[in-house]
Amino acid sequence: MLRLLFRKEQQVEELISQYLDNLRLAHENFLNAMNLYFDKGLCEDLDFLIEQTHKVESKADDIRNEIETIMYAKALIPESRGDILGLLEAIDQVPSLFERVLYMIQTQRLLTPDYLVLDIKELIRISIECCDLLIKQVEALFKKSQDIRSLESTIDSNESHCDHIERRIITKVFDSDLDPFQKLQLKEMVLQIGEISDQADRVSRRVYIISVKRRV
Amino acid sequence: MFSLLGGVFLGWSLGANDAANVFGSAVSSRMLRFWTAAILASGFVLFGAILEGRGGIETYRGLTYMTLRLAVMSSVAAAIAVTIMTLLRLPVSTSQAAVGAILGIGLLNRQLNLAVLGKVVTCWFGTPVGGVVIAVLMYKVLAALYNRLQMNLFQSDMGFRVCLIGAGSYGAYALGANNVANVTAVFVGAGMLTVFSALLIGGLSIGLGIMTFSRRVMETVGRRLVRLDPFSALVVVLAEAVTVHFYTFLGVPVSTSQAVVGAVLGVGIVKGINTISRRTLVNILLGWFLTPVVACFLALAIDFAAHLRYVPSP
Repeated sequence: MLRLLFRKEQQVEELISQYLDNLRLAHENFLNAMNLYFDKGLCEDLDFLIEQTHKVESKADDIRNEIETIMYAKALIPESRGDILGLLEAIDQVPSLFERVLYMIQTQRLLTPDYLVLDIKELIRISIECCDLLIKQVEALFKKSQDIRSLESTIDSNESHCDHIERRIITKVFDSDLDPFQKLQLKEMVLQIGEISDQADRVSRRVYIISVKRRV
Repeated sequence: MFSLLGGVFLGWSLGANDAANVFGSAVSSRMLRFWTAAILASGFVLFGAILEGRGGIETYRGLTYMTLRLAVMSSVAAAIAVTIMTLLRLPVSTSQAAVGAILGIGLLNRQLNLAVLGKVVTCWFGTPVGGVVIAVLMYKVLAALYNRLQMNLFQSDMGFRVCLIGAGSYGAYALGANNVANVTAVFVGAGMLTVFSALLIGGLSIGLGIMTFSRRVMETVGRRLVRLDPFSALVVVLAEAVTVHFYTFLGVPVSTSQAVVGAVLGVGIVKGINTISRRTLVNILLGWFLTPVVACFLALAIDFAAHLRYVPSP
């Protein structure tokens, strides 16, 4: 009965679920593209994966626009509308960062020295872990309101770990005898990868606040 | 039928103004379409008036003796008082206007039942106080229940919407049951209408006010309630409905706006915040005092004007 009365809300719920699945796909593509880059360098397969990541990012935008349109057609109470739209806008920064890092590698023909690869891979692994935990946290907000606090604190500690790795890599870059221009390029790439966990942490905090706001 | 016009106007303005107290938050936040709210409110007002409006009519009948001429004067005086107070942008209670006008008529008759008047005035004091007490109790009980349910965002959202519609419908029922006496009780006292036809005409005229003129009031008054979080807005609407319904059992028509003010204050007490400004409180007190006084003087003035005779100069 409630389902019949709240069709728009049900549509929003389904679209958010689609959006999160799409975000998982973006994580997967980004991880595959970065692994390929470190294993084979710049190649056609990498271009293909970058294109795929772009498509997934565009699809995320389309789903978000659809959710916005339904929301403006007066689904949910105003407070929830604002919270959900703000949350999706913040989450959307994550696939944009994936795209930005990959385009940076592709357009600037970036070369990564072998002694940095392991550290950067670790940074990417933990950043992606933050994003996976974020998806679980968002699902908890929309499906069952448990574990939100514990997921937030795990993401927060992962983000601190990422900051340490980020500083370690940048120190290594500037301690090396690489070309100064390449040093700046690498620093920029590392900062952009580090921004993924920072953004995941910011969004996770937001999810926590949304859940706390609903307690009376 | 022409003599009923003052009462119908009073019912119309009551519907136009007071529906905002029950459905304002749902309509202004676009949780509910205006027409759905208007149809629900009108239906439940009529339902409440017919099922439980009798008590208020009996109370007003007991205040003083009425003739048809006095009943018309009383309803016109109350209607003009409500209009003046609305134009002055002061919070107005139709119940106080109706009683003020009947009081004026009672002074003219030199026949006023002070015991009944005392009961009515005590209930006026009790309305905002009741709103505060019920809102505080309700907030605590419902908050404990809500926190225990552990709902996700969509479930709590849908729950709030269903509860606000339910609370609004109950509020409309209580409004009709409690306030219908303000509209047509004087005509029952004057022997012009039977109790049932008074309840029916009263309920229909309040419904007419809701359908034709309550949209803007719902949107502006509702916005004040929506500034509260959805849970607090729900508590305010429910506490207002319970308070007004309680006075219906006592047979005393009271102001839904004053019950809402009390409930908003109650929510503020629980949350430890200032929900109502000092200026709003001063305006409410001013309206509270002025409405019956203005209505009473208008009834006396209309009677004076009705007795003026043209005496040609010799």
